[in-house]
Amino acid sequence: MKIEVDAPQNESRRDRIERNVFTQLAQLRLSDRADAAVPEPPASNRRAWMFAGLGAAVAAIVILVVSTKAPAPAPAPIVEDTTPTRIVTPVGGQSQFTVGDAVIMAASDTSVDVKHAADGGITLVVARGAIECDVAPRHQRPPFHVIAGDVSVEVVGTRFTVTRTPSPRVDVVRGKVRVRAPGGTWLLSAGDSWTPPVTAQAIEPAIGPAIDPAIDPTIDPAIDPARTAPPPQPAPTVLSPHARYQLAEKLEATDAPRAAKMYRSIASSNDAWAAPALFGLAELDAKSNATNALADCEEYLRRFATSAQAEDVEWLRIEILRSAGQRDKARVAATEYLRQWPQGSYAGIARRLASPP
Amino acid sequence: MSPLDDVGLSIVERPTPKDEAELVAACLAGEVAAQRTLFRREFGRVNATIYRLLGPTREVDDLVQETFIAVFRGLAKFRGEARLATWIDRIAVRVALDHVRTHRSSPVSLGLIGGAHEELADASIPDAQAHAREGLRRLYAALAELSPDARTAFALYAIDGRSIAEVASLIGTSVVTAKVRIWRARRELMKRAATDPVLKELL
Repeated sequence: MKIEVDAPQNESRRDRIERNVFTQLAQLRLSDRADAAVPEPPASNRRAWMFAGLGAAVAAIVILVVSTKAPAPAPAPIVEDTTPTRIVTPVGGQSQFTVGDAVIMAASDTSVDVKHAADGGITLVVARGAIECDVAPRHQRPPFHVIAGDVSVEVVGTRFTVTRTPSPRVDVVRGKVRVRAPGGTWLLSAGDSWTPPVTAQAIEPAIGPAIDPAIDPTIDPAIDPARTAPPPQPAPTVLSPHARYQLAEKLEATDAPRAAKMYRSIASSNDAWAAPALFGLAELDAKSNATNALADCEEYLRRFATSAQAEDVEWLRIEILRSAGQRDKARVAATEYLRQWPQGSYAGIARRLASPP
Repeated sequence: MSPLDDVGLSIVERPTPKDEAELVAACLAGEVAAQRTLFRREFGRVNATIYRLLGPTREVDDLVQETFIAVFRGLAKFRGEARLATWIDRIAVRVALDHVRTHRSSPVSLGLIGGAHEELADASIPDAQAHAREGLRRLYAALAELSPDARTAFALYAIDGRSIAEVASLIGTSVVTAKVRIWRARRELMKRAATDPVLKELL
């Protein structure tokens, strides 16, 4: 038995997948380097942490599991921060790192941004995968938050699990946690579980008994909602550069100006996604504004001359010049291309373009 | 934008390294040109295998991409015991099988994947062509009802044209197990085809 099924083979599709593969590989290499740069705590420190963890009944452990498709913006409690550090672990790998007084274990295929706020607070934004945090009770310490998709978890002093797939869920094993999500804020205690409400109305505390800080030392009265009763506030949105890059890609088809603005914003940063964003911007501009697109390409080649995508950008520049009817400039650019990439992917075409008419 | 259209040019493949070992070594050394050579050399087969395993779904592009990421990230582990193509095929099959196991994706309109099937909605296409595509849609709908293991074994054998020994090697089972899975899948499909003349014609 042989059933004939012909797979689609068009070149533009192949080129798009090729570009995605090499962009992602370049990002993974950068992430690997960033990962390697994060020093693992010395053994003595790890032992100290273990003893501290065993001795402190109120130590907190946070386990987050999120899907690779986390589209919703997070209600982030902290936005004023320094440039975030991104930790990425490859498939099959694991990373351990320390952030302030917390020890974080990142599971296989995890990407997490670490943000430091001006007040010393720490926010971990998990783009995908799982992290396990060993966090001391906050009390007078700066706040510690973990964000996964549109769920934000504030560590009070407890042990709990937050699951993102197949649907968001928080299970509290010990102590107390505060969960912020679209619809409001919930304070959970041991044995409680939380799932997103069907309606957007949150009752605080929606789940779990009322907590009396006087008898529960793990609760900091200063942030106890029973005393301060803060109404749920819509918080500013924090999206990682990667998430914004993906959003910009999607927006290209429906809102090109907004996509261009988003690409430019990422490209202007020093983030690892700046180069792909600038490439994306150049491709987008090439559809409507050759002058801008050429400027994008030149900026890319100036800033990211050694990147894996530089060859593609140079070729894009040649394509733009040819489309704009600037054949002499295209010829010069093709010659330059051949000088840099004599065996490049477009070398055959470049030779024809570079030859005199 | 395709500036090549007006001058009748096409992409010219660069000369490939002499052998696989040389190509792998160059890729591992971080030579982007070698990595692109490897990608372009293997793309067609990987793309075809994943497409034939899953049918016309939205995820084919993502899975082809995922396969190549895994290939390049794992290339250091390639020891040359098997041909490079076989090693890559195993990764592609594993990626596709993992996807089927976790997502149980169902086929969608053939138009969504683009390329060869983009003109599906065009009423001017010949009836025979439309009929063949309907058969294909029904085939993958039927395959989606099978267990992931049986579906994969059958698709590799009957659609991708692999030998039973190859199927066994790619899915990591014995030849006997591969045969049994193919046989079971075929039996289920034939049952369904008994009441579906379009599917029956295809089988």
